Amino acid sequence: MLRISASTVRDRWPLFAGALLTVTLGVALVQSSVLVLVSTGDPTIPPGASGRLAEQIREGYVGAATLLGMATPLAMFLAVFIVGSTFAFSVEQRREELALLRMLGGSRPQLIRLLLGEAFLLGLAGSALGILLGMPATWLQARLLIGIGLLPGDFSARWSHGMLLLSPAVGIGVAVFGVLSASYRAARVHPLDALRSAPRATRVMTLGRWLWGVSSLVLTVMLVVAGHGADLLGALLVAMAIPVFGSIALSALSPLVVPLVGRLLGMVLRTSALGELAQANLRDAVRRSASTAAPVIVLVGLLVGLTGALNSLARAAGVDLERSTAADLVVTSTGAVAARIPQIPGVALASPQSQVEMSVTAQHRVDHRSYRQTHHSGITAVDAAAYRRTHRLTLRSGSLEALHGRTVAIGPRLAAEGVRDGAVTARIGPHKLKLRIVARLPEVLENGSDNFLVPRDLVPTAMLADAPTETLVQIAPGTSPQAVADRIRAAGIGEVRTLGQWADARVEAQQRGTMGIMAVLMGMSGLYAAIAVINAVVIAAAERRTEFAVARATGLSRSQVVRMAVIESAAVTLIGLLLGTLVAAAALASFYPGPAGVHILSVPWTLLGLLIMASLAVTAVASALTALTATRPSPTALIAARG
Amino acid sequence: MRAPAAAGPHAGLPVAPVQLYQVSMHYGAGETQVQALAGVSVTFPAGSWTAVMGPSGSGKSTLLHCAAGLDRVSAGRVLLAGQDITHATDAELTRLRRRTVGFVFQNFNLIGSLSAEQNVALPLRLAGARPSRRDVQTALADVGLADRGRHRPRELSGGQQQRVAIARAMVMRPSVLFADEPTGALDTGSARTVLRLLRRMVDAAGQTVVMVTHDPVAAASADAVVFLSDGRIADRLLRPSAAQVAERLTRLEG
Repeated sequence: MLRISASTVRDRWPLFAGALLTVTLGVALVQSSVLVLVSTGDPTIPPGASGRLAEQIREGYVGAATLLGMATPLAMFLAVFIVGSTFAFSVEQRREELALLRMLGGSRPQLIRLLLGEAFLLGLAGSALGILLGMPATWLQARLLIGIGLLPGDFSARWSHGMLLLSPAVGIGVAVFGVLSASYRAARVHPLDALRSAPRATRVMTLGRWLWGVSSLVLTVMLVVAGHGADLLGALLVAMAIPVFGSIALSALSPLVVPLVGRLLGMVLRTSALGELAQANLRDAVRRSASTAAPVIVLVGLLVGLTGALNSLARAAGVDLERSTAADLVVTSTGAVAARIPQIPGVALASPQSQVEMSVTAQHRVDHRSYRQTHHSGITAVDAAAYRRTHRLTLRSGSLEALHGRTVAIGPRLAAEGVRDGAVTARIGPHKLKLRIVARLPEVLENGSDNFLVPRDLVPTAMLADAPTETLVQIAPGTSPQAVADRIRAAGIGEVRTLGQWADARVEAQQRGTMGIMAVLMGMSGLYAAIAVINAVVIAAAERRTEFAVARATGLSRSQVVRMAVIESAAVTLIGLLLGTLVAAAALASFYPGPAGVHILSVPWTLLGLLIMASLAVTAVASALTALTATRPSPTALIAARG
Repeated sequence: MRAPAAAGPHAGLPVAPVQLYQVSMHYGAGETQVQALAGVSVTFPAGSWTAVMGPSGSGKSTLLHCAAGLDRVSAGRVLLAGQDITHATDAELTRLRRRTVGFVFQNFNLIGSLSAEQNVALPLRLAGARPSRRDVQTALADVGLADRGRHRPRELSGGQQQRVAIARAMVMRPSVLFADEPTGALDTGSARTVLRLLRRMVDAAGQTVVMVTHDPVAAASADAVVFLSDGRIADRLLRPSAAQVAERLTRLEG
């Protein structure tokens, strides 16, 4: 069987080219992600780095690992999906040949083995190419992570020989897993199909399709319902799962849905003869339409859904930050100049918050497990009275009034980390002190919040003077914030922003990493989807040569045939876009109206617009080119060849 | 049916390789139902060559498909090499296709990516046998293509392709060879070669052949001709001439 597989692959490579490229890209991406991941497992801290810097580097590494851990499975899902739909379609195209094998005594298991053999060879070839492509990809990915500030500039991923095992396993796994359902469909091909020039109308909605589609749909609906009352974390998880299951559901059920939506589109299309013909084809060639629409559904559902979810989460953090901060302006400067802010006319209150170079070792207890941990970053020196008036917080326990002298407050970031009551050990320069815990702050949504608050009188003046400081400023009633901002600027104190600008910038800084990875993921998925769509259009065009010839013999000009093909594929793409948007909307439903009625839903309109334009352009160009090629020979030659 | 004169070494075999009893077959349901076969009983005796003829839509292809186990009958029984295949499972039918029946089609249906030798060896390989080169070459030599083994189908003429297809069907030494319009896509010269080849297989090796055709000349090469009309057996002829066949056919169509 493997020999027949090999000769089929060799002979019909255009059928497999798209799948091969998909496997290659998938292997390269997984390999580069894993290599970068492995290399981030052991952060190199430059000698002489301060505790705070070392902790920041470590946090960057963890952040990079998390992002890669999120992006890699999604890329795998896409690869399996695309290989699967390519093979499913190619089985349809090879029906006659498969039927002939059945006629000559091939059994069902043999046909399954034939396709699995093809997938194996494809996976093997894709792995070899992917391992090679993975090398520049690793470098590129490391550069990207350095570029968005998660990894230090001297980071480089090391090659591991384990890749020679892992990459082929991934490549062959993706190919074989992708072809599994197609091979079972191939096994159901009837021997008599070898004799029918036009195969009997086969049922497109097979039992497997129904099972897949309906179960995924039910799961999606359950997720949407569950997401409705969920908190933000729940909403995010739901928003990450829905694009996957929703896309599977709508793609599997697309033979039902595409003609339905096609009928709606038909009201517009029917106004011209070409449009009517295109719409009729759309309804008739359900399988082909479904193959074109499926990758578009996945692309839009996944990208718009995920990006929207992440953006909404960021907006929620921003809203939370703005709501909990009672200030008009935020001034960024050093601690030394920040001391001059209260003297500026019009400033009613200034609350300086300085990031200090010290360490705090705390006892944690989480789930019956106790451990000590030393924190170097997120330790902020505050003026307790001013802090209380500029932050609208309900403390979990204790009181900030007591934050004077050798005391500490547990910051929002450690609120859920089980820091034990009593005292923590702080190290300021050469001194070691015990600090009594006097208060615990509540959790906030923002990622980069404080670990500990310490009173300013605890920190040596020289250290405070050098510390990067943000001062929250309240303006005296009746004074214009703009005027005060100008005065602070004129005094040369530092950068002045409104509360809104400051909150947005903080959230954006934290989102930068996520968006970088999303950009890579988007690029990959976009490319995958383009491959799949082009594949479907090109494979279908070969089958349609005769159909096009008949259309021309009936009186259509060549350009009319091409226009018909373009209208048709544009309509299918529109349907895919519509369904994909539906999936994305389901994913984002849990962010609307948002917890406590705050509007946090953020729809990535620009991305959606770009996807719509790019998908339409790709399918239109692909179908125009293939239709042009298919109509090159004279129509009579093609019709005669049929007999 | 009047048994055609079954000369040759296989004469007197007790079991005819193909027997149909009261076979009916219809497609579709309700208003659109089409009766393709209506109570057809026919036996194709061992070592004989029978042509099945009839106007378009008379059910001759359906008869062939039912007899070969490619289509399920709606009523009646079908026996293939003594085995009742009316309710056979897919695995049983697969076994029969491997061991008992061979097929030749109008459009040759060779696999384009395989050479002539590989095409001929394919049924053996599908049956799990390790075909010897000699078996394959003998089969090709039997159809006069010993020197074309390495050629791909697209490098062969239509007649040559059909002969490769016959070699492929015969390599398993099937009890019955089913041929569906084997000369339909060939020029007269190639058609004559193919018919001579079939004749030799019947006479020399006692091969049973069931052939659907609409060509009176092809039918006249057979031992017997069965005429179908509207899904029923309308007539039979033994060793007819092409003119006799044409005359019967015209009468049926008229």
